This record gives sequence, structure tokens and C-alpha cells, in this order.
Amino acid sequence: MEKTGPYYINGVGIISPQKTFDPDNFLSEIIEYDHNVLTCVTPDFKAYINPIQMRRLSHMLRIGLSAATICLRDSGIKSPDGIITATGYGFLEETAKFLNEVLNQSEKQLTPTYFMQSTSNALAGLVALTFKCMGFNNTYASKGFGMENALIDGMMQLNQNPSTSLLIGSYDEAADVQYKASIRVGHFKVEYINNLRLFETKTKGSIQGEGSAFFMLSGNKSSSTWCAIRDVHMVYKPEPGELKRELEKFLSTNKISAHDIDVVVNGASGDVDHDIIINDLIHQVVAGSMEVRFKHLSGEYSTSTSFAGWLAASILKKQNIPKAVMHAHRRSPKKLETILVINQYMAKNFTFILMQR
Amino acid sequence: MSQRVFVTGFGIITSIGKNAEENFRSLLNRSHGFGPIEILDTVHRNSISACEIKLTEEELCSLAGVKQHEGFTRTSLLGLIALNEAIQSANLSREEIKNSGLVSATTTGGIREFETYFDELMDAEKHGDFVRFADTATSGEHCERMADHVGIRKYLGTISTACSSSANSIMHGAQLIRNNKLERVICGGAEALSKFTLNGFNTLMILDNGHCRPFDAARNGLNIGEGAAYLVLESESALLTSGKKPMAEVKGYGNANDAFHQTASSPDGAGAYLAMKMALNSAGIEPQDVDYINAHGTATENNDLSEGLGIKRLFGESIPLFSSTKPYTGHTLAAAGSVEAVFSLLTLQNGMIWPNLNYRNIMPDLRIEPVVQLEERSKLRNVLSNSFGFGGNTSSLLLAFV
Repeated sequence: MEKTGPYYINGVGIISPQKTFDPDNFLSEIIEYDHNVLTCVTPDFKAYINPIQMRRLSHMLRIGLSAATICLRDSGIKSPDGIITATGYGFLEETAKFLNEVLNQSEKQLTPTYFMQSTSNALAGLVALTFKCMGFNNTYASKGFGMENALIDGMMQLNQNPSTSLLIGSYDEAADVQYKASIRVGHFKVEYINNLRLFETKTKGSIQGEGSAFFMLSGNKSSSTWCAIRDVHMVYKPEPGELKRELEKFLSTNKISAHDIDVVVNGASGDVDHDIIINDLIHQVVAGSMEVRFKHLSGEYSTSTSFAGWLAASILKKQNIPKAVMHAHRRSPKKLETILVINQYMAKNFTFILMQR
Repeated sequence: MSQRVFVTGFGIITSIGKNAEENFRSLLNRSHGFGPIEILDTVHRNSISACEIKLTEEELCSLAGVKQHEGFTRTSLLGLIALNEAIQSANLSREEIKNSGLVSATTTGGIREFETYFDELMDAEKHGDFVRFADTATSGEHCERMADHVGIRKYLGTISTACSSSANSIMHGAQLIRNNKLERVICGGAEALSKFTLNGFNTLMILDNGHCRPFDAARNGLNIGEGAAYLVLESESALLTSGKKPMAEVKGYGNANDAFHQTASSPDGAGAYLAMKMALNSAGIEPQDVDYINAHGTATENNDLSEGLGIKRLFGESIPLFSSTKPYTGHTLAAAGSVEAVFSLLTLQNGMIWPNLNYRNIMPDLRIEPVVQLEERSKLRNVLSNSFGFGGNTSSLLLAFV
């Protein structure tokens, strides 16, 4: 019988609109935004990328490669056994640059680098090249399910080879083209708000975020283990009542009762219509757990599940819940043992992740 | 217990046919889809030829069974046509469809529509019907759109590993079944021609203005194509319940990375070798058990040499029959893996090995020759299908007769 978890997170690296690139710093300082587009707080890339390589890389590839490098260093692993990346919109900034040339220069004298760096798997390829990883390499570009696909893929690989270490991560960028196109279809708020007041708003749409996060996942514990992932489950376009049934089934399959869940990470996005669904679900199934929220800090983006995963992993590792994410302090357990992430994207893609100390 | 994975249906549309039967006839008659571009609006119409599907959006809508002006991109329409055929060929019930997963691949999804309406979409002052394409610059859009249309809800995933994408879809689908996560997954990929990709490959200077010549000494680049193909994969236990007869088995698969260059294959074919070797290992078979390789064979200088060396390294002196079917369909990018998986299934079903068109002279630094005339064999057991891509991605599938 093959193993089916747990899957240990043995390293983390994340670059986000908050100052998260130092794994030892856990939201000690909060960045405020007042223009609805949250962009990454970047480290000095020179600390992670050699200058010759860096010159050729787009901004997002620098962010992604740095996040992957931070994760590798944190895990103490030189080269992973496999790499899986996820994205919603891919390298949209480079895509737009190439598209602009195609359209404005009547398809002549175009810049090949923009095209080469526009493909969704450019980061997974770059990380493989940088760390000489010839193993498994895959990229999911599944909108709101990309990071979930990547985790499930990785977990299945680890069922077969538990002793391997897989570098699994995501990236999405707050590209101007996506913002302009998406605001038309109500993805983002029209009025400017302060990000820290996101959950006080009563309007449609969210605020745009971005980020890249990597996790070193293995079937074996290590000296740098943060926590474990027990299970990941996705629900697409649930019918009325289905989310509650699916969540209850998810918990019982994993032999967990609602009472065991110390903290729920709520992926509410500040969209008045969308948030009703996820808030109701939490109220119905895990009303007694502490509740934290994060999209006021990260903004909304297709692979925000990785920010949620980082938040849960940090809470479990550091046994501390920063004030900036606390939404409802419903209990005070001695130890923070079990966290349930419930994320959603556009009220269409729903995700449950069970994580334990 | 890990489950065996079987193919119970497939569907395909390419420049050589809008269903499996038409594709089969074209392969049999050596008829290819290469010619001047007539449907895509591009300045290169007179200078670059391609393997274009000569059907307008209107005609595709009617084939796919959807109304016009509902915001289906050309990629989604091609996908739906192949997906519908796959579902029919596996004879899936409404309930079975609902409980299936859909894993689809594309590189640029609906970029064709996004580029067509780009100026309007970027101008907040402009309003109109084009807004239905506002979200098509993402790969995942096509998968959700198709899933919504046919009623799949259980599991969705989109893979984008450049030209190896849909081989990885099939692999992910097979993994989901092997790990008992799903009983049934429909896997494949869809890719429409666009100005974006045509110009992308053109700026990399790897397009042949003439008809491509895989594994030929004078090969001079690839022909770009469009298409879609899907396979219905079902678990052994699902087949025991339904009594359905499988068409073939997805016996093994390998995925590796060349880790050599962002857009080029390694000169020694290390990634290709690894992917094929892993496919054989996971199938539990030896190199001599492979009867045919449907090669990636894009006809670029770089790919064919690298792939050929990988093949030589794995198979030594006894190289199996191999050919590239790219001259028929062009390189359908993210769809190539599933298109060629379907061609490999047609090989297994009919005992026919498809000739490599346009081959004339042996590559001096490789010294291996592809199949150039249709070969018929009464017993074909195992077929390898290779798909490689930018970013060093190399994948190989092992499909077996059952």
C-alpha cells in the first residue's frame, strides 16, 4: 500500500505585497495601500540571483526565482527532486509587451525575449536550469485552481516516492492589462479603498494582488519542517448546500472534527456578494474556531492559496497569530495544532486545505 | 492499491480532419494540412504557411454545437469539438460526465480573441460585445468554459508546459486515477493559431517557410499548426463495473527536464532520454518491447538531433520504428501531445505505423532513419509518444495494446 501523507513543508519562500521575503519575519510591519493594486515588496534580488543571469530576467521571473531560492535555502536543499509551478494569468506583463509590439509594429521587428518569457512554464524551466534539476517538471495555469493542482500533483508523486523533496510554488502578477480587462467584468472595485479596510466595504469586486510563494514538500520530516499538509480538496461552482456537504465530508475523511480546528484561514476577498458564501460556510461548519483573513494584505489573485498556505504554515511554526490577520478570536487553545484553509476565487473555485503542526 | 489506467475513447480535430475518422483517412493517404494561411488575420499570410484548420468561427460553433456570440474562443471551440467526440466515443452517461475530471492543456488559451479586441479592452471608454473576451488572456479560461458546457465539475486542471503540455495532461489524469482520486478523467489539449504565437515562433527564427522535414539532414524548422485532442481515461475498477472494453492502456509515463536552456534542447538529448526511460520503467518494460516511437520530431535543427541522440542512447543498436507526424498537422503546440497520443492509439488499433513525410537524407550526426512508407504490423504492443517543450520540459507516454 502506498503512503498517502502527511506531506511535510520543509521550507518556505514568499515574496508578496507585504514584507515576507525574510522567513524569520512574520508580519511585524504591515504595508498599507490606497490605490487597489498591491504589488510585491521585493528584496535586493542580488542576494538571490547572479548579476549576469539577472540582466536577462523580467521582473516577475526575478521575483519567482528569488522566492524559489529563499525556499531552497530555508529547506537546506541544494537541488529539489522535482519542480511544480502554478499560475492563474501567467507572465501577463511580458505577454502584453509582446502583444503590443505585434499590434503596433504590424507584426515586424519583434523582441523574442518577451515571447520566450511569456510562456507560463518559464519560471519552472528557469528554476530547473538554475538549480540543475532534471527531475519532474510541471506547470499548472488553471486560474483559481492552479496551486491546488500543483499541490495535488506533488502529493501524488510523494505517495510513490515519499523520501523525495519537491519544490512547489506559484506566481501571479498584478499586470496592468489584466486590471484594465478585469475591472470591466467586476473583478475589482471601482472606488479606491484602503487595503486594511477591505472587509468593511460593501461593494462588488476585490483589490488586485500578486505574489510568488514556494514550498518544499516531502513525505519525510526534516530539521527545517514548518508543518504538514494533510489533504487538499477543490470544489468547482458548488450548488446550494454542496459546499457544506463537501467540507463535512473532507473533515470526516481526514478523521477531524470541527472542534479540532484551532484556526480557519478565510479567503474572503472583500466582494460583498462572494464573501457571503464563504462566511456562511464557516459559520455553519467551523463557527468555534479562530478566524484569520489575509486578502487585505495580499490582494486577490488566482494563486492566493499559496499566501494562505504560507500564513497557516507560519502560524503553526511560530505559534503566533499576528494582529493584522486576526478576524475573530473565538478561543485560546494552549497550542495551535490544526488549521483549515478555506479559500475561494471569484466564488467559483473553492479550496479546503488541512494543515497540522 | 494503485489502479491501472485505460483509454476508453478519444476525439480529435486538426488541419487533416475534424474527427478521428477523417484524421485516420488523411494519415493513411499521406494527405497533410500544410498551406497558405486563410482564416487567421495576419500580415504574414503571403510569407508563412501553416497547418490551419480551414473552418471559420461560425463553422466551428456549429460543429461544437454552441450558439455564436457566446464568447467561446477558437481554442475553446476546437477543444469542445474534440471533447464532444471523445465523450461520445467512450459512451459516457450524463452522470459519468459530471463525475469526471477535465485536465486540459493550452499555451495561450484565448489570446487570439484577446489580441483581436485588445485596443477596445484596454480603453475604458469603449463598450460593446467584445467585453465577453475580457478574461481570455488566461490559459485556464478554456478549461472552465468547456467543463461548464459539457457539465464536468468534479476536478479541473489546466497545464501549460509549452509544447509538452497535453502529454502532461494525460500523465496527470493517469496519476489521479492511479491514486484513486478519480475514476475517470478526460485529458488533452487545445490550441488555436494566433498572431501572438505565429509571430512568437517567427521571431525565434525556427519556422520553415516550406513544408517541414523531420529527421531530414536538410530540415529547416517547424510548421505551426492548430488543433485539439482528448482521451477518456478510466480506472480498471470503473471498467469492471461498467463492463466497457478498453481501447488501450496508459501503461507508463515519464516527465523530466533538460535543465539546459530556456528554449533549446540539450545537444546530448539528456532530457529526452530521461523521459523515455522513466516511461519504460514505470510501465515495467524493456527497450526491446517498444514497437514504435511517435517522435516529437518538430523538424528544427535542435530538436531532432537532441531527440534522436536521446533515442539512440536508450535503444542502442536496435532502434524501434519511429516517425514524426508533424508534417501532417504541423506543430499544434500544447495540443501536440494529445494529438499524437491519438495517432498512437490509431497505430495500436489498426496495426499501422504512420510514415514520416518529406524525409530524404540521413542526418550525418545521427545516422538513424524514420519510417517513410506506411508500415503494417499484425501485432503492435507498446508505443512511445514523445513531447518536448520550451523550458526544458520533456515528456513521454507509453501506450499499450490491450
